[in-house]
Amino acid sequence: MYRNDTIGPFFALLFSVALYLATYLDGKHIAALHGGKPPHEALSEGQIGLVAFATLFLIYALIGFFSVWLEGVELRPGRHVPSPGAAVTLVAVLLAVVEAALGGFFVRLMIHHLTVEPVSAAAQGAVFGAMMLVGAVLLAIYKKYYLGDEVLVEEEHSEVPW
Amino acid sequence: MSVYKWLDERLDLDRLNKKFMRKAFPVHHSFFLGEIALFSFIVLVLTGIFLTLNFEPSTRMVKYEGQELPAAYVSVLYIDSLPFGKVIRSAHHWAAHIMVASVFLHLLRILISGAYKKPRELNWLLGLALLGLTVVVAFIGYSLPFDAFSVTATQIGYGIGKSIPYVGDWIAQVVFGGEYPTLKSIPRLYALHVLWLPLLLMALIGLHMLIMIKQKHTQPRYAEEVAPGKILGVPMMPMQISVMSILFLLYLGVLFVLAGAIIAHPIEVYGPPGTSTPALKPDWYFLWIYGILQIIPSSWQIPLPGGASITSEFIGGVLIPGILGLVALLLPFLDSRKTKMRYVELPSQHPMRTSVTVGLLFFFFVATFAGWKEEFGMTNAQLWAMLIFIPLAAWFTTYVLMRQIWGREG
Repeated sequence: MYRNDTIGPFFALLFSVALYLATYLDGKHIAALHGGKPPHEALSEGQIGLVAFATLFLIYALIGFFSVWLEGVELRPGRHVPSPGAAVTLVAVLLAVVEAALGGFFVRLMIHHLTVEPVSAAAQGAVFGAMMLVGAVLLAIYKKYYLGDEVLVEEEHSEVPW
Repeated sequence: MSVYKWLDERLDLDRLNKKFMRKAFPVHHSFFLGEIALFSFIVLVLTGIFLTLNFEPSTRMVKYEGQELPAAYVSVLYIDSLPFGKVIRSAHHWAAHIMVASVFLHLLRILISGAYKKPRELNWLLGLALLGLTVVVAFIGYSLPFDAFSVTATQIGYGIGKSIPYVGDWIAQVVFGGEYPTLKSIPRLYALHVLWLPLLLMALIGLHMLIMIKQKHTQPRYAEEVAPGKILGVPMMPMQISVMSILFLLYLGVLFVLAGAIIAHPIEVYGPPGTSTPALKPDWYFLWIYGILQIIPSSWQIPLPGGASITSEFIGGVLIPGILGLVALLLPFLDSRKTKMRYVELPSQHPMRTSVTVGLLFFFFVATFAGWKEEFGMTNAQLWAMLIFIPLAAWFTTYVLMRQIWGREG
């Protein structure tokens, strides 16, 4: 908590992997107790808790790494004007094309589900999730290489919000 | 730009920008735990709007594929059949779990960094209220699909609520519409889940954020060397907003991949409520209470005047969590300081507070473990011994190790 370093996100990622692994092993244990086949296809209450914390730690780790990459380890007052190179612009254009393709594919999936046959929830979720993740990377590239940085020093007593 | 100019001439947007949008936000990734909770709430509201459009909050029996089934259960099957419907319902479910977990971890971060001290005592109390309310809303949401799982899980909560001496029956009437499950139960729980409690949550979140903006964030310790006595941060617009948007998209990406891959509550697996009660436990955030209930003998009863009594359910489900809650409420007044707190306190410099927090976490772990008493074939005496000695050992070991590594209190 001294500075915005990657120690917290790194341990969050470790916890996340450990908890996902624990969920998997718990499932194997439950199945073993029932002769090799789980009693039903739903997660147990304990597994839901493990996955909830595993996912929270994963989100926290991702957010932490992005925060360090975008905002730095320590703030220093002033402005930083970025100068994006051709390679960054090319990557951004390619990602924008991927984003558009994923959007089109998602619409096709929905139409297919409605008119031909049900599409698995895993595929629907994966395509939509990929759209969001690519969108996040695109926006991060914009923030890092086009928007620039600004760090303020503010008086402790301000008029906001009163 | 002409639209902006048009609006600016009428609403003085430039002044709004200078006054509010230039507010400085200190930067530390641990501050995003509260934002993850906020993102979860936004997702819950948005996915919840879709669900309310298709859910029928009723237990009337309807014909579905040749069977007589409760309307609520059938409407959830209908939602699952819609394009993206199953994923949205699953995302709603997972977002609720992640919100409970993130509010808990956010409070834990506040606790170990001492950020509950002057002048932030009020926001600590609001945070506790938000944790309690989030758990209640999530618990009520579980009851709505009206399958065998949700009915059984809700009955456990109903039993705890009803066990409160003198007011238990009144709580059962207000929250569950009478003796659960009655015809009134689902409409009552539905109204609480989609309207009254979310409105209260919104009001408390708004107040929490308003106070946070007024009092300012605590800051990472290095900021004391860079700009002592001032707020060092990035402006809300465009820096903080752009980072928050990126993080929200990351959150959505992970959430929806998970929601599609693992359906948290596949109601067709458990089926509609029947005569046989499936062997289930309550949701994970209630497992520690359930565990305590498992190791309190049902013979523990204290009669009270007027025919009421303190039951084992009340002791395990209300009294023990209530005592912990009371200690949490009093914490900023017991561990206080006279000067205003500006910078986070490093956990390593406060070994007593950090080690007590570790001990408390172990208490929750062991109490949760006790929920599997029968599966592990353990006795009450063994579990009581574990519940008392493991947290104490964790506290003592952590304290000694921290003192050895980092020395005296800071």
